[in-house]
Amino acid sequence: MSAFPFRSAVLVLLLAATACQRGGYQPKAQLTDTAHLVGAEQPADPQVEAVVAPYRLKVKQQMDEVIGRAPVAIRKNPGESPLANFAGDVQRERAARELGQPIDLGVMTNGGLRAELPAGNITIGSVFELMPFENELVVLDAPASVVQQLFNYAAPIHMAISGATYTATPEGKPVDIRIGKELFDPEKDRTYTIAISDYLAGGGDKLEFFRPLAPRHTNVLLRTVFQDHIRQLTKEGRPVEAQAEGRVKF
Amino acid sequence: MLRRDFLKTSALGAAGLSLVGPGLISSAAAAAAPVHLTILHTNDMHSRIDPFPVGSAQWADQGGMARRAALIARIRREQPNVLLLDAGDIWQGTPYFNFFGGELEYKLMSQMQYDAATLGNHDFDNGLQGLEKQLPHAQFPFLIANYDFAQTPLKGRFQPYKVFVKQGVRVGVFGVGIEMAGLISDKNYGATKYLDPVAVAKEQAQHLRTVEKCDLVICLSHLGYKYDSAKIDDLKLAAAVPGLDLIIGGHSHTFLDAPTVVKGPQGHQTLVNQVGWSGIKLGRIDYRFDRASGRKSVAAAEALSINASALS
Repeated sequence: MSAFPFRSAVLVLLLAATACQRGGYQPKAQLTDTAHLVGAEQPADPQVEAVVAPYRLKVKQQMDEVIGRAPVAIRKNPGESPLANFAGDVQRERAARELGQPIDLGVMTNGGLRAELPAGNITIGSVFELMPFENELVVLDAPASVVQQLFNYAAPIHMAISGATYTATPEGKPVDIRIGKELFDPEKDRTYTIAISDYLAGGGDKLEFFRPLAPRHTNVLLRTVFQDHIRQLTKEGRPVEAQAEGRVKF
Repeated sequence: MLRRDFLKTSALGAAGLSLVGPGLISSAAAAAAPVHLTILHTNDMHSRIDPFPVGSAQWADQGGMARRAALIARIRREQPNVLLLDAGDIWQGTPYFNFFGGELEYKLMSQMQYDAATLGNHDFDNGLQGLEKQLPHAQFPFLIANYDFAQTPLKGRFQPYKVFVKQGVRVGVFGVGIEMAGLISDKNYGATKYLDPVAVAKEQAQHLRTVEKCDLVICLSHLGYKYDSAKIDDLKLAAAVPGLDLIIGGHSHTFLDAPTVVKGPQGHQTLVNQVGWSGIKLGRIDYRFDRASGRKSVAAAEALSINASALS
């Protein structure tokens, strides 16, 4: 009847007649291989391959397009890392531009950055590897109590927050938190703007304390944010650089 | 539109009957010949044109549209009647979508002769304009009954359902989509209105059973398989809506080894199937249709008389 591997007896389900009016036929479902794997042993259809080929070539060409240059690789590492500083700063800058207001903080976790930017040519493909997800840049308006929780999260792992400096105590507590140049007071009645991915804003990477906050949308993908920034640097004749510069003291 | 479709499909059905000759309904031999139908389906293909790269941590070298096309072509050679359906989220997930906006996905699905698809949330990722731009590449209809596009530029571009006629068997297929608010950026769905999928599915199933006299009713759903919360899902839909034979699901990327059987409100059993995502698997449900006996033959006679009048 079919070339499907019938590995077991055919299961026939007789669907009961209902009060609903039916047409002239009574259906019986025959469930055999109801989820057939499309695997490597299945040869490809050459006609479909022929349609895909020119698109695949264009994707490859576009992925190989050089959009900037880094004198040294922009690495990530536990604690304050050049790559996370780069991401947090660029997010903050773009969010400020999109919403037309200053943004206090930029947050990116190491886990959200999937690859390092290589030394030498940076291609569109490099940015896709860095940020393969369809994450959107959003802005949170966080009360001081939530900002305190952010630093409590960051201090034990010495994670840097763009726009701020702090000292992590040996017990993993954040002290001497400065946002801009101003000393942070968790009792102060004010909100802080945070540029972040929609994924992290929704509580991803265990940033649970952000979950109750309603994000403001920029409708710009993070990948686009990084891509545009690198292109702009190149246009200005500048290399792509980032440092771990002591935003977290310990 | 509906009327015209109905007449056309009825005429096809009647033409099929006329080949067999008169006296079909009274002929025991003809009535005994069952009709076989193979439903093939995908969901959440997410622009996975090529198989996952060989070095991938998960799903390495699995999926791929050219492979799926060959598999479908083989089944078409083996089976007399095939319906090929998709439950949404055709788009987003590989650079093919970022670079070409979904054009290639629609072209390849047309090449594979998809019969219908419904809309998933990611099919709005380039907004209503992005969807409108690619529609000419899709040589198959999008079925969506609970999104109202009347106040948008896409007004009139989609239909709630379609009836397919295979050797006289009438198969009604309709689509339902997930609530857009909070899932899709506001600007990407604009003035599209979301209608309650349960109420809409009840209307659709009723209409397909009675007015359209369908022998099989299929719902293409992008609601998701199962949520612990009160949020509507495929299992709840199956339990709430009478007269559904099959729900082909999506959105939750659920891999089911076999369809789930759900008892509906009037004792009717509904199958719910979903095959993960990215075209890693091709779903398949085979149906055998026997001429209904006893009281059911009345329904058959009614259907025939409508066919005959449509021809005249």
